[in-house]
Amino acid sequence: MIKSLLLFHEPQVKKPFILTEDSGNVNSGNTNTGEDSAKTGENKEPSRRKKNENLLLKKVEKIKLTDRRERNQKDQKSDISRQLSENLKTIEERFSASLNGDLIIRQFDITVKDSTIAAFLVFFDGLVNTKVIDDDILQPLMLLSNLDIKGDRDDILKYIRSHILPHNQLKEVRTHQELIDEVYFGGCGLYIDGLDAAFAADVKDLPGRSVERPNNELVIRGPQEGFTENLRANTGLIRKRLMDQNLIAENIIIGNRSKTPCSIMYIKDIANETLVNEVKRRLKNIDVDYIMDTGELEQFIEDNPTLPAPQILATERPDRVCTMLAEGRVAIIMHGSPFALVVPITSNDIMYSAEDQFLRFPYSNLLRFIRILAILMSLLLPGIYLAITNYHHEMIPTDLLLAIMSAREKVPFPSVVEVFLMEISFELIREAGIRIPGPIGPTLGIIGALILGQAAVEANIVSPILIIVVAVTGLGSFAIPNFSAGFAFRILRFAFIMLAALSGFLGITVGLILIGLWMVSAKSFGVPYFAPIAPRTSGGFTDAIFKSPAWKQEKRPDYINAKQQKMQPRISRKWALANENNQAGGDNTGDQNG
Amino acid sequence: MKTTKPAVITRVIKMDRGKRLIAIIMLVAICPLLASCYDAREVDDLGFVIAMGLDRGKTNTLRMTLQIAKPMAGADGGGSGDDLPYEQFSVEAPAVFSGLNMINTFASKQISLTHLKVVVFSSELAREGLKPYLNAMLRGKEFRPNMPIVVARHTAEEYLQSVDPKLVTNAAKYYELVFQSYKYTGLIPKVEFHDFYLASKSPCRNPVAILGDAGKFLSAEEFDIKNSTYMDHHRSMPFEGDFFAGDIPALGGARAGNVGLAVFEGDKMVGELDGTNTTMYLLCTGDYIHSYWTFPDPLAEGRYVLMDVKQSRKPKHRVEFVDGKPRIDIMLNLEGDLVAVQSDIDYETGDNSLVLESAAEDYIKDHVQKFLDKTINEFQSDICGFGAYARAHFMTWAEWEAYNWHTKYKDATFNLTVNFKVRRPGLILRSGTSEAMESRRDDQ
Repeated sequence: MIKSLLLFHEPQVKKPFILTEDSGNVNSGNTNTGEDSAKTGENKEPSRRKKNENLLLKKVEKIKLTDRRERNQKDQKSDISRQLSENLKTIEERFSASLNGDLIIRQFDITVKDSTIAAFLVFFDGLVNTKVIDDDILQPLMLLSNLDIKGDRDDILKYIRSHILPHNQLKEVRTHQELIDEVYFGGCGLYIDGLDAAFAADVKDLPGRSVERPNNELVIRGPQEGFTENLRANTGLIRKRLMDQNLIAENIIIGNRSKTPCSIMYIKDIANETLVNEVKRRLKNIDVDYIMDTGELEQFIEDNPTLPAPQILATERPDRVCTMLAEGRVAIIMHGSPFALVVPITSNDIMYSAEDQFLRFPYSNLLRFIRILAILMSLLLPGIYLAITNYHHEMIPTDLLLAIMSAREKVPFPSVVEVFLMEISFELIREAGIRIPGPIGPTLGIIGALILGQAAVEANIVSPILIIVVAVTGLGSFAIPNFSAGFAFRILRFAFIMLAALSGFLGITVGLILIGLWMVSAKSFGVPYFAPIAPRTSGGFTDAIFKSPAWKQEKRPDYINAKQQKMQPRISRKWALANENNQAGGDNTGDQNG
Repeated sequence: MKTTKPAVITRVIKMDRGKRLIAIIMLVAICPLLASCYDAREVDDLGFVIAMGLDRGKTNTLRMTLQIAKPMAGADGGGSGDDLPYEQFSVEAPAVFSGLNMINTFASKQISLTHLKVVVFSSELAREGLKPYLNAMLRGKEFRPNMPIVVARHTAEEYLQSVDPKLVTNAAKYYELVFQSYKYTGLIPKVEFHDFYLASKSPCRNPVAILGDAGKFLSAEEFDIKNSTYMDHHRSMPFEGDFFAGDIPALGGARAGNVGLAVFEGDKMVGELDGTNTTMYLLCTGDYIHSYWTFPDPLAEGRYVLMDVKQSRKPKHRVEFVDGKPRIDIMLNLEGDLVAVQSDIDYETGDNSLVLESAAEDYIKDHVQKFLDKTINEFQSDICGFGAYARAHFMTWAEWEAYNWHTKYKDATFNLTVNFKVRRPGLILRSGTSEAMESRRDDQ
């Protein structure tokens, strides 16, 4: 047992996934269905090495699939029987009907012509809309079925489906397991005596909140809707914005026991196929019992678990997901999580805010500049302060030096201790601020401002200049738009404080080089993490760091290797041309000319 | 787990992991041991010297005077009462760094030179040669290469003592600003230590230093102008630049003052130039920026025209060899803004402006010529660095060194061109007599 624990390694892919342009283009004509993705992936790569790798992958996949199938077969004792009583027994057993208080099994009779057929419904109270069941399922079966029936009544199954049940989402199932899965996701199962099939009607009315403003990614200009915990509401929010016929929302189920429904969204003729396949491959090969949130899912599918910076974007804004889908990225939405995941991202995506897209370009460039400054400050400011005051006194203006000197004169600790004291208390305030119950929140501000800001200085525990440094650092860390990236910089900040305390700017430089190497070698779903800058691709500086006006963003990011590189023609503001076609009174052919 | 073999492997792997962990812990632990904040010093543990004075000592080679900034002065502001913003220490020592050691025996804080703003040499020391001290300052990594060099006409100690900064509460700031005044007075040269050192070694030029001294007047009754150079400039009364440092009849502010420059040959001081000549020096080197000039009024005897003279373009230099002797062409491009016309003559328009321009050109040319002649006749020292332009005529460095510019400079002749334009008349756009103004008012 110890041995297996120690020696256990995840099956390692020999060659990491790298997103390339060619493989995407070869297959661009084909339409792609979810199941044969692995097969097409294999066909695409003629090279032996790739083939071997794919074989290996397939093998792993096969093992897992058979594994899962076996488990399923164990659960699945038998198919649906023609005997209703047998079915009822199975269902009662499978749902532990005697223990489950919220399980409803409703038995009734259907009168067809002169005979009565026994039937029963099964559903969970609380997951379904009972009115829909009453009106659209029970009522037609019990009352309307004995109306005059025309035509052939041999195939009751087909007949009920096409004539009697007016419900819009009715699925015919052959196994108990299929039905059970549906019932757990807010469905209603209908068994009819004498049939070896059953119906699963989608009558779900899952409890949950309605669409609200996003809580964390606030913008002033732009849509004010956020994702909720409901999968279909979330995909709906995206479909509502992207009315593109090529927008695909593929279903996938993650978690052997939790059976959490997820949706992979992409635009079929824009997103690179290898990327889509890679996302599907990773999602399908997660072998876990329960998965609750995309925060967990992110950890299962990211490339570098130890890299401090996030490699997958989690956002609660549908408009942001839409923008990124339109660029050729892939989004993963999970039932029960108000955050969608978007892959791949690069380092500069974490300093964008959703608002950048909606603001005029000079404004968003100002914001981006400030954010870069904020990142640098939150990462380096305490370190630089320590380095300067401990090692490089010649670097500061004499006046400031004398000011720091007089401020520090009465402080009993070395400046490293001072910095750590303040940084740790700042982190304390921050953590306490999140955990504190709402009504006592304002007290925290008073404690923080009084104790740390004033009393500490007056008691000569810390110098006032340091308070400024820590405060500005804190502001900087709040200005980072990405929540996870904020964590990354907070952790690294302590590393830089240590390095600066040990060897001044030399330490900071070494730290920057090491972190730079780490980041540059990282990948997010096959895309180098520093992509538009290192490796440098076209438009690296103009579009990645600073933003050009909306009508000038002609290409999709190069590193995503979308199937269509162009987003808009070189001249997108057609009205600016002296051309008769684009006159307002015309038949609007101007739009099609693009 | 059928055989015992896997157990062995497990053990090996376990040890490997343990070892790796220990190695990582040790590496992390060693890092601070290796570096161990080796040269970390808290700012409040250091005493920052802001000015250093070097004199010939009574008992030893050097008498070193240090001004160490007090930390309170910077932060509290206000400059309460008579408290000086610095502490002054003096010590007699054989050399700069031994002097620092000696001061550290009684100063509570470790002395740091990283914020040294100025080094003052006494003229006695400067005339003997600064080589031994320059070397120490260049090698010592704490000296800033851009600090100004001052030669005090009497002793450096006295000069530093007389710095009692009234306008700024912070002595460091005083030193930072006071040596920048060449930008708007033109009365002191622009001197930076690294440049000074290079020039002292250069075969093309000789260095200069700022001339400073403690003011010799303590009350207005003592004022006199007997040390002024106005007679040399053929004037009836001294203009602003016709003084050496310390001789200006002035009171208030810091008693220490800086006017003029000290001429060096190599590392030895050979003479002094007054403020007016320093302006000419700045014009010739191109370091001149702007200052107020007093020109004699060309149309009204005894009146003056004051102009703010700027350098419109850098001067053009050219060195030719005529009969083996260097001929140096200098073209100065200047422009002036009228700031005061005492005679109220209309110099803004018409021919009068041309008259003023040519008078100014002659005046400047005359002064520059006299300054250049002085460098040749009195000092034989090329402080303006014309050698750099002569160098172009030599194919190799060896040839140039063999030519020995410093000995040939005394034979040089000058060909001066001054272009002077009056650009802006100030806020009075058109001077008029009072009658003309009256009649105009009547017309309305």
